[in-house]
Amino acid sequence: MIKCPFCQTTHVPNTLFCSECGTYLLEDDRRGTDPLGTEEIRWVGPDDEGGEHLTKQGSGPLSVRLHIGEGGREVEASLTKAIHLGRLDPASDVFPEVDLSEDSGLERGVSRRHARILKREGTVVVEDLGSINGTFINGKRLAPYLPEALHDGDQLQLGKLLIEIELS
Amino acid sequence: MQVDKDYYNIFGVPQTATSEEIRQAYRTLARRYHPDTSQEPNADERFQEAQEAYEVLSSPSQRQKYDHWRDQVGRDKSSALTLRATVSHKTLLSMPDEQAYYVLLNVVPASDLPAARLPLNLCLVLDRSTSMQGMRLQQVKEATRQIIDKLQPEDALGLVVFSDRAEVLLPSQLNIDKAVAKSIASTIQPSGGTEILQGLLAGLKEVDRSRSHASVNHLILLTDGQTYGDEQGCLEEAERAGLRQISLSTMGIGSDWNEDLLDQMASLSGGVSTYIDSPRKVTDIFKDTMRHLGMVVARELAMTINPRPGIRLQEAFQITPHIRRLEQRGEKTILGPLGTDQAKALLMEFRIQGLPVNEQRLMRITVEGDVPGQANRRSWEWVELTSHVSATPDPDNVIPPPIVTALGKLAIFKMQEKAMSDLDSGEISAATQRLETMATRLLNLGETDLARAALLEAGRLARTGDLSPEGRKKIRYGTRALSILPKEIPHD
Repeated sequence: MIKCPFCQTTHVPNTLFCSECGTYLLEDDRRGTDPLGTEEIRWVGPDDEGGEHLTKQGSGPLSVRLHIGEGGREVEASLTKAIHLGRLDPASDVFPEVDLSEDSGLERGVSRRHARILKREGTVVVEDLGSINGTFINGKRLAPYLPEALHDGDQLQLGKLLIEIELS
Repeated sequence: MQVDKDYYNIFGVPQTATSEEIRQAYRTLARRYHPDTSQEPNADERFQEAQEAYEVLSSPSQRQKYDHWRDQVGRDKSSALTLRATVSHKTLLSMPDEQAYYVLLNVVPASDLPAARLPLNLCLVLDRSTSMQGMRLQQVKEATRQIIDKLQPEDALGLVVFSDRAEVLLPSQLNIDKAVAKSIASTIQPSGGTEILQGLLAGLKEVDRSRSHASVNHLILLTDGQTYGDEQGCLEEAERAGLRQISLSTMGIGSDWNEDLLDQMASLSGGVSTYIDSPRKVTDIFKDTMRHLGMVVARELAMTINPRPGIRLQEAFQITPHIRRLEQRGEKTILGPLGTDQAKALLMEFRIQGLPVNEQRLMRITVEGDVPGQANRRSWEWVELTSHVSATPDPDNVIPPPIVTALGKLAIFKMQEKAMSDLDSGEISAATQRLETMATRLLNLGETDLARAALLEAGRLARTGDLSPEGRKKIRYGTRALSILPKEIPHD
């Protein structure tokens, strides 16, 4: 029997797609994102911690600078449009603005389409795009597709890859 | 001579091949499979096959006898369809446990067929309830007028409107007076509620009036409302219609209609249901439906699978023209009509257990159908699927990309089915989760619109415990259309 890495359902050998969650079960190991284990994860819901209310109006920060991982690679991107974070994979048509393949993204559990940073009504937010290993702000996991505010100096974490945020 | 063997196919030559062409083909095969030199698996068997075929086809008298037999059973020079099978595993690992095995079968209309259009016997059954007032009815009338313009002299048309009761505006007849018919269509006025069964019964009566085996007997039902209390009757009538070769196109306009009912009615009769999200699309959808109706290569298409012991069919789906579960009638899987310009792709999932090492033959899949316009003419094709069963895993086995693509889309379609059935049994959180997962998969396919719709509905479901009627339809009809590439509606 083989087990779906996403929802743990078991299937007969040679099954190609999980019948429960639609995961491709033969995903090439070198390209797929493996779950890293989910112990000690706190979920940030909309009602947790009083909620981060998105402020209206105001121009807010113009760009974001990312200090990526231990290598400390720095990337600066303008906030005029959404910045996607993930791993480049032309084969499945994934072209993130910030490609984390070189920052040992795969080993650290970064999905191809992992998260995006964008400015909404003057506030910079990060949204998890249904990644396998999750997106964290200062150690707390975000609910998928629910944008959360991002502040200067925040520790953003994709899977196990740490990224320090600098807004300017 | 073995009558169930296709000797021409063994040589890969047409029935019109000259004796020289046959001799050439035979020599190529003989060299390739000669038991003394060939390294290919099954060389012995192939060699013998070629020998046998050559014996028959190289002798003028035997070939004549064989050709005569082929013509008699309809397997003549122009078969209406061809089959192409792609399998997930060319090499299977011999194991005591069950394993999965997938077959993608393309049923392609033969390209060299004369492009004949079949006469239509069509009845339009149109909802004229009060809710159709305005844009909807206006567009439906316009679409009807355009359909009338496209009719050929050999076509029959009937026109029925319904609300709480049905009214036959134009009794079905051949070669109608188009000007009169169009002016009748223009007089439709909205009033009353929606009772689908009334309209269906009146419409079927009109189709029966002009029904013949030589024509395509079809009813287009368009509604924008729920019908109450007569659902069971509608389903029974739809099934009965299917049995006497009348297919239904059911079309829902707006969001307040019962997609389960329309969908079932269509599939019971061998037709298709359509979601019309904007009245502006009615004309194109009517014209498209009409164009496909007449262009049929084979009808009553059915598939039979003869597997060796230890293999069983788990599930069968149509992938193109749109995704749907295939219905089983006894031994046969019902495939519906095969259009001239619409190849079908089918996907079957099998379970295999306990095959001995080196076993080759897995199954034979036969597809047969009626060739319309010619009485009692059947056409059929088959494919034999073989596989090498090995005691050690094959590291080089690559799953063919078309199978992965088809299964990926099918996985989303099935998730949608499961989400809806979770919802029906009151499992809100399970349904919500499925819709969310579905959205992720859709995003990975680049289907952002549908992904957004699924996410929106997941959110709504979590908050309110139900989906919106539009969302329900968008997801249902969106996932089944996943297999379709963006298609152009031809301008004619």
